[in-house]
Amino acid sequence: MDNLGELLHGFTIAVTLPHLALMVVGVLLGILVGVLPGLGAPNGVSLLLPLTFGMQPVSAIILLSCMYWGALFGGSVTSILFNIPGEPSSVATTFDGYPMARDGRPTTALATAFGSAAFGALVGVILITFLASWVAQVALAFGPAEYFAVYFLAFASFVGMGGGAPIKTVVALAIGFAIAAIGIDTVSGSVRLTMGVDELVKGVNFVVAVMGLFGIGELLVAVEEEFHARAVSSKIDWREVFRAVGRLPRHSIALLRSAAIGCWMGITPGGPTAASFMSYGIARRFSRRGRYFGTGEVEGIISPETADHAAGTSALLPMLSLGIPGSATAAVMMGGLMIWGLNPGPMLFVDQKDFVWGLIASMYVGNIVAVALVLLTVPVFAALMRIPFVIIAPLIVIICVVGAYSVSNSYLDVVMMLGFGIVGYLFKKLFYPLAPLVLAIVIGDKAEDAFRQSMLMSRGSLGIFFANKLVTCLVVAGIALLLLPLVLQLAHLFRKPAPSTDETTTQATARQKVTI
Amino acid sequence: MISRRALELATAVLTGGFGVAVVVQSLDNGIGWSSAGVDSGTFPFLTGIIIVVGSLYNLVRGMLPVATLAHVPIAITPIELRRIAGLFVPAAIFVAAIPLAGMYVASALYVFAVLAIPRHQSVPRALAMAAATALALYVVFERMFQVSLPHGALAAAFGY
Repeated sequence: MDNLGELLHGFTIAVTLPHLALMVVGVLLGILVGVLPGLGAPNGVSLLLPLTFGMQPVSAIILLSCMYWGALFGGSVTSILFNIPGEPSSVATTFDGYPMARDGRPTTALATAFGSAAFGALVGVILITFLASWVAQVALAFGPAEYFAVYFLAFASFVGMGGGAPIKTVVALAIGFAIAAIGIDTVSGSVRLTMGVDELVKGVNFVVAVMGLFGIGELLVAVEEEFHARAVSSKIDWREVFRAVGRLPRHSIALLRSAAIGCWMGITPGGPTAASFMSYGIARRFSRRGRYFGTGEVEGIISPETADHAAGTSALLPMLSLGIPGSATAAVMMGGLMIWGLNPGPMLFVDQKDFVWGLIASMYVGNIVAVALVLLTVPVFAALMRIPFVIIAPLIVIICVVGAYSVSNSYLDVVMMLGFGIVGYLFKKLFYPLAPLVLAIVIGDKAEDAFRQSMLMSRGSLGIFFANKLVTCLVVAGIALLLLPLVLQLAHLFRKPAPSTDETTTQATARQKVTI
Repeated sequence: MISRRALELATAVLTGGFGVAVVVQSLDNGIGWSSAGVDSGTFPFLTGIIIVVGSLYNLVRGMLPVATLAHVPIAITPIELRRIAGLFVPAAIFVAAIPLAGMYVASALYVFAVLAIPRHQSVPRALAMAAATALALYVVFERMFQVSLPHGALAAAFGY
């Protein structure tokens, strides 16, 4: 049990006073961005990124990852109390969470959500603890061809399992790659795709893109519908909290199933949003009380919440051990890793043991801190929602502008950020997924390098991608995932179209709405 | 009023245009195989082609009256469009004003304008919020994190 020893060592790094303080700050900021519509985990984390440049990498990643946990929890608070999902991944929580809160059981709904979320996160962290170093060890033997195959598999799984329209996903991915290629080519040193703008030689920073796509874009979508925050009571009854958590083990099948779905979707980059919807859909089909879903069922809260957090947590596994982030927020964190001078991927487990195990240990502690803080601060953040949106919106615009500027003190970045805002709005409106775009911007260069290195090794023959069993399996699995939507469509054509009920179509559109 | 179809078409044209630009630009870098391995334009060239082909597909899909588009004929209603413009136009003016007025003055003016002009807040309260915003930015960035935000051409003219 090598891992447990390393983990204990990690705890000695994570559980120190400065790091605990960072966790509290991170979680509180995370809940804040999670609660505010228009600010989400990806751009919250990228806003904080420039401020971490002077920190130790361990401290910085603890701050950022705790912000992520906080944001995941904060999104559920508004879903349940206001029927407004603060995060795309907590949309499925509104289906049963809000009805339960409206029926006079807000504490039960919140405690159930947080309890199952903590369980999902715990499963995710345990998975990372035992699997990450093993995956990294396997990956140490990878050559460029294997790496490219893994990247290819990751991108293909967005197309096959992301839930968006496949061709739109492909276009989003390719645009991300093209944006990643802007600037100086890392292999040949030549300048590419600057479109005649000299300042673009430095490339397009992913933080600028995230700020626009997620920040301004989401704000424009949010301002479109003038929502009124009609909150149900946000008082917390502490005895009911413990009773609700005590009732959770009765739903252990739902908990385990949702955690498994979440972990799977987090590791293969499907992301938390897709995971929570998939888990909710499956729970409704298999639960004995499936008919009552949508009216405030306990399992209707457990399923999306557990899967959401399991996916959010396990998205860090491929990021740490392979250098492939499993969600948009993980992509931003990975960009941070590269800025701090670390090289995400299997070598982290050899060179940066303190960093990796400090982070993993902090995930255990951070989630406990997050549950405690979110329960304590529900009334405070619920009050925040009563501030009119017309006041919050310009403040978020200013935050995004300053955030984009401070990345590299460039005015061009601010202008590009606004441009990305329009693109983000259009893409959200028309269900183009945004997560693959961000992912491609962050790891596009690495994927390209892997491809070109393998081409050099094989002297231009594509045969290198079928040279051994491992790489062949990866490539074939990737191609299969790419073709999956096509196969499903063909199968659909041959079968008689089944009559669909109204309920499923509304859920399908709700799901479509939040595909990012 | 903007229909879903128009929006689909506009977006497909936008992405397709970007794809064409990528293809044209990457030809300058050379595509294909040379003595140094894969030329630096090859990868962007391929992504550009994928963008163009995908955009064409989306364009055609957007034009055909497909069932999925049928239930949302209208993408943006006039009221929604006005709300979006109400947020975006001031934001764009704010960004345009930064080089001249500097981040602090521009953001204060921006907050004041969006709160006081549509009468969401009274003038004194809007003034107070504008001042608080600029002050908070100054304290957080210039003092706490030592990040210098642009002071603007006007401030430079006065010797700051």
